[in-house]
Parts: sequence; C-alpha cells; structure tokens
Amino acid sequence: MRLAAYLLPRILAALITLFGVSVLVFLSLRLLPGGYADILLGPFVTPEARAVIAQRYGLDQPLVVQYLRWVWAMLGGDFGVSMVTQRPVIAELLRRAPVTLQLALIALAVALAVGYPLGVISGVRAASRRKRRDFGRVVGAMGASVPDFVLGSVLIFVFSVWSLWFRVGGYVPFGVDPVGNLRTMLLPGLTLSVFGVALILRTTRDAVLRVMTEPHITAAVARGATPGAIIRRHILRNAAIPVVTVVATYFGFLLGGAVIVEVLFSVPGVGLYIFNGLLNRDYAIVQAGVLLAAVVFITINMLADVLYALIDPRVGAAR
Amino acid sequence: MTAMTAPLVDIADLVIEYDTGTRQVRAIDGAALQVFEDETLAIVGESGSGKTTLGMAAGRLLPPEARVLGGRIHVADVDVSDADDDALRRLRHDKLGFVFQNPTTALDPTMRIGRQVALAMGGRPAPEAIAELLSRAELNEPQRILRAFPHELSGGMAQRVVIAMAIARSPQLLIADEPTASLDASIREKVMATLGRLRAESGASLVILSHDLRMIARHADRVAVMYGGRIVELGAVGQVMQAPAHPYTRALLAAAAGNERPGERLRPIPGTPPILESRCEACAYAPRCAFRETRCETERPEPRAFAGREVVCHRAEAVIAADQSPRQEAR
Amino acid sequence: MSGVARIARRRLRGDGLTLFGAVSLGCLLFLGIFGPWLPLGDPSRIAAGPRLGAPSAAFLFGTDELGRDFLPRVVQGIRSTFLLSAIAVAITAVIGTLLGMAAGYLGRHTDQIVARGADILFAFPALVAGLLVAAVMGPGQASAITVISIATLPLFIRVVRSVTLGVAGRGFVTAAEVAGASTLRVMVVHLLPNVMGAVMVQLTYALSIGMIIESALSFLGLGVQPPDASLGSLLRQGSAYLTIAPWMVLSSGVVLSLAIMSVNLVGDAARDALEPLKGRPLT
Repeated sequence: MRLAAYLLPRILAALITLFGVSVLVFLSLRLLPGGYADILLGPFVTPEARAVIAQRYGLDQPLVVQYLRWVWAMLGGDFGVSMVTQRPVIAELLRRAPVTLQLALIALAVALAVGYPLGVISGVRAASRRKRRDFGRVVGAMGASVPDFVLGSVLIFVFSVWSLWFRVGGYVPFGVDPVGNLRTMLLPGLTLSVFGVALILRTTRDAVLRVMTEPHITAAVARGATPGAIIRRHILRNAAIPVVTVVATYFGFLLGGAVIVEVLFSVPGVGLYIFNGLLNRDYAIVQAGVLLAAVVFITINMLADVLYALIDPRVGAAR
Repeated sequence: MTAMTAPLVDIADLVIEYDTGTRQVRAIDGAALQVFEDETLAIVGESGSGKTTLGMAAGRLLPPEARVLGGRIHVADVDVSDADDDALRRLRHDKLGFVFQNPTTALDPTMRIGRQVALAMGGRPAPEAIAELLSRAELNEPQRILRAFPHELSGGMAQRVVIAMAIARSPQLLIADEPTASLDASIREKVMATLGRLRAESGASLVILSHDLRMIARHADRVAVMYGGRIVELGAVGQVMQAPAHPYTRALLAAAAGNERPGERLRPIPGTPPILESRCEACAYAPRCAFRETRCETERPEPRAFAGREVVCHRAEAVIAADQSPRQEAR
Repeated sequence: MSGVARIARRRLRGDGLTLFGAVSLGCLLFLGIFGPWLPLGDPSRIAAGPRLGAPSAAFLFGTDELGRDFLPRVVQGIRSTFLLSAIAVAITAVIGTLLGMAAGYLGRHTDQIVARGADILFAFPALVAGLLVAAVMGPGQASAITVISIATLPLFIRVVRSVTLGVAGRGFVTAAEVAGASTLRVMVVHLLPNVMGAVMVQLTYALSIGMIIESALSFLGLGVQPPDASLGSLLRQGSAYLTIAPWMVLSSGVVLSLAIMSVNLVGDAARDALEPLKGRPLT
C-alpha cells in the first residue's frame, strides 16, 4: 500500500518524462529543412515512396496530428523502415539488443565487483585515518578521467602487437561459441567498465563516509562491536542506498548503446547500428534508436526506485 | 559519597583539543572528575561547555579531530587513552552503556528493532528474551516493536529501545548524553524515570550529560557543573542547588524555568560561552561574571574544597553569601 | 585573502594528489591559453619533418601522416578542447543556475516543469543524444556544445534546486520577503551567493564531463572538424595509424586523460572543502 503510494507518483513522472522525450525526438527530425520524407528516405526518393511516407505519417496534417500518428504507429510496433535495408528498424534494433545487453552486463558486473568493495574499503580507511592520501582517490580519479576511447585505443594497440588471447572484432554470439564470444567481448566490456568502476567506487566511498558520520555507527562502536561486524551489519546496507541510483543511471546509459566502445571494437550492438545509421543518413534508425535508449533508461530508473524501496524501509514513510 | 572503593571513573588534568582545520579549539581545559559505584552523577553545562566531549572521552568515542593532549582517563581500571583497540572494545562491550541524544539517529534505519537489540545483547538471544528486555524498558507491545523499523517508532519509544540496548549486557557505567532533550516535554520525565529505575535495579553508575537543571535535581545524586572545559562546581545535588558557590551555577539556576519565585523573572545569562584556543590563564567565566574582581582576570582559579563541595572560583565565599542574604541583584 | 591562502596551503600539505591536479591543470591551462605564442612550432606546417616520424629531440611527440609536428597540434588540441567545453559549461551553468533557483524558490508549477525538463534531458544517454544532435545540426562545434549542454544542464538544475530548497526556508530569506524584496531581488541577492559554492563544484565536474563528450564526439568525427584540432580529433587521426605510429594516440590520449583528471582532482578538493565528509574510525 505504502509502496504504491511511493511508486505511483514516480510512474506518473516517468510517463511525463517519456512524453517529453518523444516530443523532443519527434520535433528534432520533423522541423528540419528538406522535410521528413527526405530525411527518412534520403534525397533520391521516388515520388511514389514519398507519397507512401506522406500517407503513413500524414505529413500534410498539423504537427499535433502527425505526432499522434507517429506515436500510434510506434505503439503498433512501427518504428519506421531502414532506408538502406528496407527492413523495419525495430527488428534490426531488437536483433542487436542482446549484444549491447551482454556488453552492458559485463561492464556492470566488473564495475560492481571491483568498485563496490574498493569503495567500502577506501571509505572505511579514509574515515579511520584523516590523511587524504589513499588508493581509493587515486583509482577513482584515474578511472573517471581516462576516456573509454583512449583506453580502448591503447588496449587495441597492445593486443594487436602482442596478440594474446583476446580478439578485436569478429563477434560471434555466445550461444554459438561461448569462448570465441568472450574473446571478442571481454576487452570492450572491460574498457567500458573502467568508468563504472570509478563511478561506483567514488559513490560508494562517499556513501560509506556519510554513513560513518551517522550516530548509529558511533552507537555501534560504543557497544563494542568489532569493525568487521559494523561494516557487515550496518555500513554495507546503508551505503548501498545511494549506490543503487548511480548504478541504475550507469546501466541505463550502457544499455542505451555504448557507441564509442562498439565502434572502436566493432561490436555489432545497438550503438554501432545507430552510429552507422547516422553515417548513412538513415535517420529512421537514429530516431528510433535514440527514443528506445531513452525509454530503456527511464524504465531502468523506475526499477531502481522499486529496488530502493526494498533496501530502504524509510522510503514512502517520510515523504 | 562512597569514597571507600576505588572510583569507577577517574579523570584528572584532562586536556582535549579539536583541530578544526583552521585552528585548535580547546574543549577540555584541565578537567578532573570521579564517578563512584552505584551513583548518578549529572554533568551540567551549556552547549560548548565540554560536557559531551568529556562523556565521549570516557569511551574514547571522540571523532579523530579531537586530541587528548594530557591528563588521564581511567574507567573500570582501564586506561582509556592508552588501551589498545581490543582492550577498549572489551571495556565498551562489557562495562559501558551509552544513551545518545537523538534516539532515531542512534538506531540503524535499515534494520528491524529486534535484530538491533539482539546485536546489543550479544550471542543469539531468543525472541522471548528480547521482548523481555524491551518490557523492562517499559515498552508495551514488545512483539510489535521487535518487527518495527526505527522510523516507525515515536521518539520516546525509540529512546526506550536505545536504553534497553544500553543496559542489555548489564554495564557498570551508563553514560547518557541529553537523553531526553529530543523528546516531547510530556514524556521526558517518564523516560528519565525508566532510566533511573533500570540503573538502580542493576546497581550501575549513571552519568547524565544535560543542560536541564530541573531534571537533574530529581534524578542525580551529585552534580558537576561545567564551564569552559572545566568542572567549576562539584557536589551533592541538594547542596549545590540550594546554595551555589560558583557564579555560573547561580546564573544557570536563575536562568532555569521552574526555579523562579513568584513574581521573579528568569534571568538569561548575559554573554556567550568562551571558545578557548589554549590553556585559560584566568577564570574562563570572568567576562560574564557579576562577582568578578581583578584577580579573576589574571589568575587561573584552582579547585578547592569549600562548603562541602569542590569549587573553582576565587569568589566562592561572596557567591554563597549573596544567596544567604535576602536575594538581590549582585549588580 | 590571506585566510583563503592559508586554508588552501593547509589542505594541500600532505595531499600530493590534489597538488598534482592543481599544478597539472595550471600547466595545461597555460599551454592552452598561451600556446599560439609559445615557440613550439607551427601546428599546420606540412612536411615540417618526416611523415609519421617517431618522437625525437626535434619532434617530442613525433610527426603525423602529413609530416606535421605533433606537439604543437596537441597544444592546439588542449586549447580547443578546454575552450569548447568551458564555453558550453559556462553557458549551461548560467541557465542551469537560474532554472534551479527558480524551481527551488518559486516551487509548485515552476518546480514541476523544471524538474520534469531536467528528467527529460537526463534520459538521453549523452553520446546517443549526440548522434541525434549531429543528425539534426550536422557535425561541428555547435553540435558539440549542444550535446554538452544537454548532458550537464540536469546536473546544475538538480544541485542548485536542492541547495535553494535548503536555503529558501532560512531566516534571512524570510526576513527579506517580509521586508518586501522582489522575487528577483531575493534570488539574486540572497539565494545566489548561497548556491555559488555548489555551482562552482558542479562546474568542475561538468567541465570534465564536457571534455569527455567533446573529445568523444570529435573522436567519432562529429565534433571539431579538420583542419582544426581537438584532443579527440587528434586521437581519431592517430587511431588510423595506431599500429605504425602509436605515439599520436598515446600522446594525445595521455594529455587528454591528464587534463580531465586534473579538473576532477581540483573538483574533488573543492567539494571536500565545501562539504567535508568526516566519518569516524571504527575502533
């Protein structure tokens, strides 16, 4: 009951956000010179194709009507057709989604597995010694500062010179050849995770330090609890609360398409597809891709709100 | 005063400073205090007087910005400033119980009350034992409270939980820092009574840190008045409250609601408490004192026995005398 | 002023990391600002040296495929990466601060609209949004600035809004309102000074995000266009010759990472000063 009272306004806000996103995407491509048909079909359109598009999207109608038709079409699964392949964009995007998902999961898993424990250790240590020098700050600062394409380029260089186990390009699905898949996916996944490691480390470190200023930690110390017990019982859970939000944002961005890393490592995911769509002036792909990235992002954040409510019993009570 | 046995707490010449990042602030400026077994001692003072610092120092719970620069703190025969981490943890675990000012922040917000109390009791207590402990702290419906989260309790209930956790392992010394300050006025007295009763039942000693003189009068055996990081007056509650020998105690009493005689006005203490940056070479209260003379501004007063108590004031005789004669404005 | 200097000195003592950040940021800014007048060589002179020449005493960062000295090109890249991000972030900071203050102080409908607007912008992953912007506006510096603004505007709005909410209820604001100060006056005279600290901290983070976005877009060929150079476009240029002339990618990559890191470190120090987090030891 209380959970519903907490979640309903959030769902409403998410719907409003979704509406705003769709309007922005709609307007950004509709208001261009050259007209929507040209953008969708390229400059060399036959009059017949133009007429089909004009018919489908009602291009002679007022913008509001056009918007509603556009949304209606998408609700029916019609996100437009790729000008290059003449296939529905949504099918192409969905076909590539698992690749991006796998990449995002690798990056997220590494980021959490490394960033969270390091953040906890770094925070606890920073609270115990007033010296500002500690490895958490160094790792956090470096990870947040080396852009993925710099790191990726360096890794590609290293592994092209000493062709170790990893491979760049030549993606195979995990189901077909698990080992071959990992040989191509681990490197981009790791590249992508470095920023996540830093992000989660920094967030966790701050959260731990903030929790450790709270009187209930002093109370636990005053009861004679051991540091290990205090960390396990009181700090881990309390510090996880802000981390959930950041992890959701990070994961949402990853799922939206890790454009750079996919381009760099030739990973045939959503990001590479949208990027190639842009290069080919296949704007239906860009439009649908951006819209879906935002939808995924908003959905992930909604799920994070639910998770948040599960971790923090106060949620929904005070507000 | 049962001075026969060794004191439970023995603090002498204690000096504590905080490093604020821009300067040193001296919170404790040579304080001395003893707490004996089976007694209730109240430490009274305004905020900034050093009472919380003193209370936390007894369990070495001060934040790292605080430095103990001198003196000694012995609690239950453990040298607190010198003990290693394990010895200190055993002391806290077996012999100390703390009650904090704000009970809702002193409990882990993400953990059910039952589990928190169980952790305070140690081992794996049966649910009945936990409920029993909560009942002793006069919590009705302990079964419901066990399953509750801290934010679902009222302040008074939460403080009773904190008190139950503090006495869970039958400590020898309870330290309560403004235990009722954050509670509604209507329940302060009841919570205080519970704390006092549990102390008496267990035979522990209780140190209350408070600014509330009226409450002290009802619940403490002895009172220590703190000002400028020192204990300026220390004696039996009745004696000190009847006839204060330190002008600050006197001013505190005059400023406390409930002590006024009919027609008399409350007199707020003029000025603000000092912020010391080093050892005070005068009387720290002199700038606000109605009794001050030249000596007070040049000579640091030392503790001396006077009128059945210990007082740190050059002018104690005049202060007592002012109260013996019909009340009149000293200035 | 001497007080500020003293606090800064105290903070830097024993904190090599922040000192390192501050010094390297200073050096990079110096290079970026005065680069064109320093005797480093001409960034656009073709065949100044061998093509794809390895680093040497004459060409510290080597030469590119047209035989241009790579060092002055990197310096030129520092200049445009900093400049572009700084312009974008400065514009965004002003807009974001105004919107955030309006949302926090005026509340109700204004708050709802601004908060939803921030959510909408925040929902676009920066680079995916970059692809859309590039589709609409065409590749170039204007696109880069737009994308940086889209990505960082929500950060400013959210931070300023929450600080404003905290300040708006305080006594001096109420006093000013009772005294009849206009809404605009309350916002500029009473709220602005109180949100400036948070804005400055956010500014450094936004600058580092801006630099990442600018260089990423330029790396994809959607930002700074040749013959101009930014650190990202130099990386793009170098990545074509990664295996035979790795110094191009390495030098511009290291300088770019250093630039972002020094901004981050200075931002960390600013935040620590504004909002010190002091946990307690567990013993």
